[in-house]
Amino acid sequence: MSERVAVEFKVNGATHRVSVPATRTLMAVLRDDLGLTGTKNGCEQGVCGSCTVLVDGAPARACLALAATLPGVEIVTVEGLAQGDTLSPVQQAFLDAGAIQCGFCMPGMIIQATALLTENKRPSDDDIRHSISGNLCRCSGYAKVIEAISLAASRLAP
Amino acid sequence: MTTTRFHAPERLDEAIRLLAADDEARPLAGGQTLVAMLNADLLSPSQIISLHRIAALKGIEKRSDGSVRIGAMTTHAGLARSDVLRDGHRLLAQAAGRIGHEAIRNRGTIGGAVAHGDPSADYPPALVALDAVIEAVGPKGKREIPASDFFQGFLTTALGQGEIVAAIILPPSLNQARTHYEKFARVEGDFATVSVAVALWRGGVRIALGGVGPVPVRSAEAEAELQAGQLSDAAINDAGALLVAASDPLDDVRGSADYRRRLIPRLVKRAIRAAQAKDAR
Ligand SMILES: Cc1cc2nc3c(=O)[nH]c(=O)nc-3n(C[C@H](O)[C@H](O)[C@H](O)COP(=O)(O)OP(=O)(O)OC[C@H]3O[C@@H](n4cnc5c(N)ncnc54)[C@H](O)[C@@H]3O)c2cc1C
Repeated sequence: MSERVAVEFKVNGATHRVSVPATRTLMAVLRDDLGLTGTKNGCEQGVCGSCTVLVDGAPARACLALAATLPGVEIVTVEGLAQGDTLSPVQQAFLDAGAIQCGFCMPGMIIQATALLTENKRPSDDDIRHSISGNLCRCSGYAKVIEAISLAASRLAP
Repeated sequence: MTTTRFHAPERLDEAIRLLAADDEARPLAGGQTLVAMLNADLLSPSQIISLHRIAALKGIEKRSDGSVRIGAMTTHAGLARSDVLRDGHRLLAQAAGRIGHEAIRNRGTIGGAVAHGDPSADYPPALVALDAVIEAVGPKGKREIPASDFFQGFLTTALGQGEIVAAIILPPSLNQARTHYEKFARVEGDFATVSVAVALWRGGVRIALGGVGPVPVRSAEAEAELQAGQLSDAAINDAGALLVAASDPLDDVRGSADYRRRLIPRLVKRAIRAAQAKDAR
């Protein structure tokens, strides 16, 4: 049990006002209060990366952020990447490269890759490996993930 | 069942008042350790005092005497890319850039990491090698604690009840040094199995090791040997052996004590040679 705190933030462009216990994580709010279950609950220790979301554009672990500390921020989850029925270039590249196996780590991987390609338009394989080093894939399909991110980069390059 | 209350004061003195009045209250910085502990049911604080709104804990500033003051709420990512840290002080930026993964560095703070006092963490050896000072503020006011006295044991620091880390101060002197941070970890983003922070300057050598004892490990004999032997291969070998003798590593999931002892001399050599390769001043 915790005292409730009122917070307002944006998720995928929509403003949400929630009343949360002090210890409630952003992950719990996204999944259980807002029904955005794309963000996955893996380890709850920040290690696996499957709950990675963008907070004001920067990748963050939703499991380690208390919602009460986030008034006014803009959050983007995997549900916020597509434009209507059109997948984002990173999502499309993951499909085209066959990078998705069981899919559990994919929301976090795709968010992390989206952040990488915003900062670095032409990442080397090494840059890509470094960037996704905090996103564990238990199917161990990293080779295809790296191909997918390279493919997205080449499609996005001017 | 207890109720966890939440406060996010704007003033430092308000945060300290709340913390000093309740020893079950916990300050919250980036949450990269504290929230993981809450998730694992290792803690149930009576109050969470979030420090994120306190302006006095933010920013990195170069002062007129050449020292650098780093606010406790500076994130690892903010430190890693800061252009206020130059020359010898880059050692700290280098260590910050090796902490965990990007998402962890975006939220975790130097104040939280220092207050946690994990001997395998990256800042403790870097701060000891740079002769840094921890600025702590508590109900009795402000005090400055040298990093070498601040870390007192496994997850144990010099902070008293109600006291928080307000800033880290890097003295100007070691800005002239050539420095390097060498981290050896099982995989990218893990805590160090062994890490080595080195500062070399005309008048001396400082080396601090992480991951091989309850606090960062130094050896005055090793540093004197390196200085006298002008960093020759022989002097480095002797210093490596002295540092192994000064260390007190544990067996854990990141490596056996014996493995860590074998790593020390090799990493010390690598770190010294890498520091030497940086521009002389
Ligand atoms: C997946 C993962 C990998 C990591 N890898 C590494 C690594 O390789 N190297 C490394 O060094 N660290 C690593 N860390 C730990 C990381 O550096 C944390 O950010 C840091 O230990 C805590 O900082 P924080 O700001 O998140 O503090 P919090 O989690 O908010 O707080 C940590 C502790 O310090 C107290 N506290 C916070 N701020 C203050 C203050 N200003 N004054 C007094 N007390 C305070 C809190 O009450 C709590 O007890 C990792 C963490 C994770 C989750």
